[in-house]
Amino acid sequence: MKVRLVLLWIAVGIPLSWGVMKTLENALMLFQ
Amino acid sequence: MASTFLDRENTVASPGFNRFLVPPAALAVHLSIGQAYAFSTFNLPLTRLIGHGHSAPADWDLKQVGWIFSIAIVFLGSSAAVFGRWVEKVGPRKSMFTSALCFGGGFIVSAFGIHLHQLWLLYLGYGVLGGCGLGIGYISPVSTLIKWFPDRPGMATGVAIMGFGGGALIAAPLSVMLMAHFKTAVSTGVLETFVTMGVIYFMYMMIGVYAVRVPAPDWKPAGWSAPAHPKQLVTTADVSVDMAWRTPQFWLLWVVLCMNVTAGIGVLGQASPMIQEIFSGRVTPATAAGFVGLLSLFNMGGRIIWATTSDYIGRRNTYMVFFLLGLLLYSTVPTFGHLGSIPLFVAAFCIILSMYGGGFAAIPAYLRDIFGTYQVGAIHGRLLTAWSVAGVLGPVLVNYIRQYQIDNGVPKAQAYSVTMYIMCGLLLIGFLCNSAIRAVDEKYHYRGSIQT
Repeated sequence: MKVRLVLLWIAVGIPLSWGVMKTLENALMLFQ
Repeated sequence: MASTFLDRENTVASPGFNRFLVPPAALAVHLSIGQAYAFSTFNLPLTRLIGHGHSAPADWDLKQVGWIFSIAIVFLGSSAAVFGRWVEKVGPRKSMFTSALCFGGGFIVSAFGIHLHQLWLLYLGYGVLGGCGLGIGYISPVSTLIKWFPDRPGMATGVAIMGFGGGALIAAPLSVMLMAHFKTAVSTGVLETFVTMGVIYFMYMMIGVYAVRVPAPDWKPAGWSAPAHPKQLVTTADVSVDMAWRTPQFWLLWVVLCMNVTAGIGVLGQASPMIQEIFSGRVTPATAAGFVGLLSLFNMGGRIIWATTSDYIGRRNTYMVFFLLGLLLYSTVPTFGHLGSIPLFVAAFCIILSMYGGGFAAIPAYLRDIFGTYQVGAIHGRLLTAWSVAGVLGPVLVNYIRQYQIDNGVPKAQAYSVTMYIMCGLLLIGFLCNSAIRAVDEKYHYRGSIQT
């Protein structure tokens, strides 16, 4: 059960973190 | 066989099931359908299909292409309203599967439309079919999450609805990357991108289909019992979707959501040109894109933060904060523009957009407080028609008033001031409606037996 929990959160966490990182890269232009 | 797997009775969790497996299942669906917010990345490439990189006379224009997204949003609201009761009946697994078929299928039908250069197939594919996928997918995990987290309903639905905001953050760079990958001398790469995204999103949504479970009818969190004296406005009774429709509370909440969304969505759609025009010469298109990205982040973050906050301070108080703080910020934004203060201007809109997202995320828990858990998903579906109305009203207000001001000789930098004050008026209406919400009269309570 715990392995499945970790895998599921990784499955949603990785794409979300990638999207946030890409957006932050763009957003940083505002402060340059 | 497949229908057996999808049936509600086969999704009932066994004893000892970890309820924290359900939010990522909901997120898998919402992160996918949240792609809708990033559909504008396809707008320009769709106008250059025949010209291969530039618009040819036979190509579609931006206005025609813009209708694809509008149709999708209208069908999001209407399908959520129409299919809400069906979603409650068949359970989250079958409804998530249907949503995945519609949403993924919408991309594939649209890809055919691009191949044949038939715009109506894109209206039908992404607009109608995809829009139904959006509506069904949006509401499918809501009541399940509320039942799994009776102690933290705001946080639970906030996590899922945060995914809808986060979906755009993934889809925008993903679409650009895929189009660049598939682009050739004779193709913009949109067709291949549509097929790829249709397949990827269908498969990703299957994670949710596989992982989602509903709690057993008598289940409750370990060590938790329903409070003997619920907070003000929190009911222990239930109201059916057909009865909820007839209560003043439903329509007051409809206006509350509509006003909150209208105030945010108009700005979100016009954020890039707005900041460039107000701070003319100081903000480049690239910087404006950064501003839009920042707003998207606050839109997403606000969903989880405000929805969780609502578990502690109450739903009505949370919306009071949205309307009062929104009023204050919208009324001071023109001053920040006159002062030429970009940091204050950006900070104000970041907070406004966090409350826009928060309004979406806290509404399911608000509905649960007022109408109980019985058919809260279906009631939520019907309330989402307010989103469809706001989706038209917000951008029209911002664009029309801006154009009217410019036509009457107002400089572009000041053309948004009146719009901001009109937004204040809308927020005041929302505040008054929210203040008027009381507990539902007992005559509307459901008295039949409830089968979970």
